[in-house]
Amino acid sequence: MRTEVPGYRDQRGPSHTGANRCNKTGSPVGLAPEPGPPPTEPCCHSRVLTALECCAPCDIVSLSCRYQDFHAFDLSGATRVLEWIGDKGVFVAEYESLKKNEILHLILPLRLSVKENQGLFPERDFKVCHGGFSDTSVFDLKHVPDTRLLVTTGLPGSYLHVWQITEDSDVIQAVSTIAVQEKEDSLWPRVAIFSSTTPGVLHGVRLSSLRVVDLESQKTTYTSGVSDSEELSSLQVLDTNTFAFCCASGRLGLVDIRQKWAPSESVSNGRGSPGAAGGRWCAEVGGKVRSPGPSVAILGSNGQLCLLDPRDLCHPVSSVQCLVSAPSPDPELLRVTWAPGLDNCLAISGFDGTVQVYDTTSWDGMGSQVEPLFTHRGHIFLEGNQTDTTPLVTTHTWHPHKPRTLLSAASDASLHVWDWVDMHASS
Amino acid sequence: MPEIRVTPLGAGQDVGRSCILVSIAGKNVMLDCGMHMGFNDDRRFPDFSYITRNGRLTDFLDCVIISHFHLDHCGALPYFSEMVGYDGPIYMTHPTQAICPILLEDYRKIAVDKKGEANFFTSQMIKDCMKKVVAVHLHQTVQVDDELEIKAYYAGHVLGAAMFQIKVGSESVVYTGDYNMTPDRHLGAAWIDKCRPNLLITESTYATTIRDSKRCRERDFLKKVHEAVERGGKVLIPVFALGRAQELCILLETFWERMNLKAPIYFSTGLTEKANHYYKLFITWTNQKIRKTFVQRNMFEFKHIKAFDRAFADNPGPMVVFATPGMLHAGQSLQIFRKWAGNEKNMVIMPGYCVQGTVGHKILSGQRKLEMEGRQVLEVKMQVEYMSFSAHADAKGIMQLVGQAEPESVLLVHGEAKKMEFLKQKIEQEFRVNCYMPANGETVTLPTSPSIPVGISLGLLKREMAQGLLPDAKKPRLLHGTLIMKDSNFRLVSSEQALKELGLAEHQLRFTCRVHLHDPRKEQETAMRVYSHLKSVLKDHCVQHLPDGSVTVESILIQAAAHSEDPGTKVLLVSWTYQDEELGSYLTSLLKKGLPQASS
Repeated sequence: MRTEVPGYRDQRGPSHTGANRCNKTGSPVGLAPEPGPPPTEPCCHSRVLTALECCAPCDIVSLSCRYQDFHAFDLSGATRVLEWIGDKGVFVAEYESLKKNEILHLILPLRLSVKENQGLFPERDFKVCHGGFSDTSVFDLKHVPDTRLLVTTGLPGSYLHVWQITEDSDVIQAVSTIAVQEKEDSLWPRVAIFSSTTPGVLHGVRLSSLRVVDLESQKTTYTSGVSDSEELSSLQVLDTNTFAFCCASGRLGLVDIRQKWAPSESVSNGRGSPGAAGGRWCAEVGGKVRSPGPSVAILGSNGQLCLLDPRDLCHPVSSVQCLVSAPSPDPELLRVTWAPGLDNCLAISGFDGTVQVYDTTSWDGMGSQVEPLFTHRGHIFLEGNQTDTTPLVTTHTWHPHKPRTLLSAASDASLHVWDWVDMHASS
Repeated sequence: MPEIRVTPLGAGQDVGRSCILVSIAGKNVMLDCGMHMGFNDDRRFPDFSYITRNGRLTDFLDCVIISHFHLDHCGALPYFSEMVGYDGPIYMTHPTQAICPILLEDYRKIAVDKKGEANFFTSQMIKDCMKKVVAVHLHQTVQVDDELEIKAYYAGHVLGAAMFQIKVGSESVVYTGDYNMTPDRHLGAAWIDKCRPNLLITESTYATTIRDSKRCRERDFLKKVHEAVERGGKVLIPVFALGRAQELCILLETFWERMNLKAPIYFSTGLTEKANHYYKLFITWTNQKIRKTFVQRNMFEFKHIKAFDRAFADNPGPMVVFATPGMLHAGQSLQIFRKWAGNEKNMVIMPGYCVQGTVGHKILSGQRKLEMEGRQVLEVKMQVEYMSFSAHADAKGIMQLVGQAEPESVLLVHGEAKKMEFLKQKIEQEFRVNCYMPANGETVTLPTSPSIPVGISLGLLKREMAQGLLPDAKKPRLLHGTLIMKDSNFRLVSSEQALKELGLAEHQLRFTCRVHLHDPRKEQETAMRVYSHLKSVLKDHCVQHLPDGSVTVESILIQAAAHSEDPGTKVLLVSWTYQDEELGSYLTSLLKKGLPQASS
């Protein structure tokens, strides 16, 4: 089944035909700000081109000019989780049903932690710092800040699992569970953490089942108290008292837990608003919530991306169509993330084997098509095993401090760390 | 109780001294004899005094096995065999035998000539030590003695690296040494068959590591070289005689070809050539692709890479030079380094580990001013890079190998127990085996239950079949026969056949028992009473009263006699053969209860 989405057809221009083929016509499609090398396929110099054209797209040569750094790893199972602990550690977890799923605490390669002259640092491998086994699939994992505790969620969705990283060994142990109010067979509860002196676990399958449970006492400290049964797709805690929710339908809201349920919400029928376009949606609120400007990004399974101002969720600031080849085959894997270290920069994944980075600075109108600043295709062409299906990117995340470094994982259990080169800036 | 005992004598954390003592079915084997590269004192070598307090090592050890030529696996060998004293056989593969002495001599030179160490092994000792080596082929079963046999499997890692199966009877241990489960550009992946050993001893230095892909490492290497060459700089790559050098040559050759680069690439004469010579010699040890190409042209004869002449170092313009030795401690690589170090356009790429005290180690630890011979100070302005291409199995590789070999238990060496609890759990869960992680000097004891095969004669089997019902596979069944143990061969045959075969006469074994009965009557009458009693009790048996007055039940004979002192008591003599033991004992116990009172 393939939904016709505006803009699909035009994208198969010369710039899109091969991963590393250069666009010889020199006429970039889309919104490239100036003539010159097309934004998606930058190359160093002519001699590199010669090498590129005569060899397979997977050639190492092509990697050297597009990435400052590129590391590729093979996990023992695919992960949907990339959760930071500090700026050197990251959690991954497997999501298969009917098997023991590993939860791993990985330490990033040492050479990513140093600034200049990385050459002397030999360590370019991940270290498994801690590990544990989960009997259920793990779809999401949150680290409770300033503690050794983790909360995981997945299917079957009747419980959230609480884990502890042991201090004297490398094992992650199950410590307790949190029962979920509404038990549903096919849906799993979304989770976010209120970190304060007594950490609270915000979770829910639908708006009606939203609640906060105190991690220590297991007492419920907040419930939404509404009968609205709309299905949730993401939850995000913004500060000690507010959280944002995004429904699968594209409905968005900000909630203050000190007050009775009265979220500031998006309206579903407004022009360019997410809900009107159909499909499934996910959202992320950028770090600068209190500053003016659009800091809420919401991504639809057909590739629509809307930016909203948190103070006025009813009127999208801009609504664009991203350069995706097909609707997301698994909307559960949709991800949109703001770059913490770059202004107006975000990344999306969940449509195919790529991660796209966009600069939102010049976006204004409604419905226009936008071209990515950078596309990471590593999961497609570095694929180790010859399989028929190309891997699907399951999740990605930005490095908290290194502005252009991202981590991305795919369904073939690959995990990439890459520092991309902004060819616009350098040209 | 039969058991397998394993004691690691020295397997440090990073660049360890591999040395493991294994006792299996009464045989003692030492696996590897490595040195620790980080120490200059006694800790450099394993503590061999642990093996035997008094007595010679040769008497205690049945053999020594060396897995590959890296010094952390063979560096202590001349010390062990010539200075401590061992004259037994040392097994290693052919490539290891060829390369090992070169590296030992190289290392000896650094220790003695550069660092001025005394009391170190000599060149002659290396030669004498190598005379004790027995070279083995892959998959060749080598009989160390009548019972102990070993077999080598391909381990990847470096040229000639092998895993060894040590087997005595039905008990076996597999030792992996260092291995690599992903193929290289020049070597294949480790492989072992489903040999189901009692124990798999695997290295686990990289067990908590998830390795960056080879391709990304290569990308970085090529990028560095390319950048330097583009800006007109000279690139020096000090290499060890063997191992990564060949791989880097192949990589650069391909890159130069693709990119149509013109800058010359040289490799220094001497060791690298010697190394290539060995690779050609041992082409069967490289991976399939190289073997295939070798038929058409020699993969190690390069189009772009030419032999180096020392005059070339002063040529203008960019170039890339591979030179030995790898740690910049002497020879050509050091000469070139001194020439090029002052220019910041130039670059040196260290592709391997450097021993303390070498120039390589100094520049890698960031030193920029080096004091050379004659108090000369060399300022290093050239770029210094480190590229690790080491090919070890990571956690995934270890799991793969355990899955291949299907051992009954797994032992991890080279690691820190606290950091490997998770891997231990993972192995135990996934393969349902026990996993051990002994520290240095700590012994792991594994009880084994050896199975002893016994051949059974067809005649005996047929006879048993004829007697009973059809055999039920799930139920144990009692079977009588004679076990003949001859020439460590076990056979179960019928006793008749055993007598015939062994030329023995049959002996009768009879049990005789006296039962006292209170009966004042005559012996004949007592016998008669016994007869009628047994006749009534044992309805299924043939009870007879013979003319001579004795009673028989099957083959059991009962006679009544008068008591010599007490006329009121009669003595029953019960006698039966060994074969009728069951009935005999039953009868005696029956008679002991006495006879029923006569109705008369």
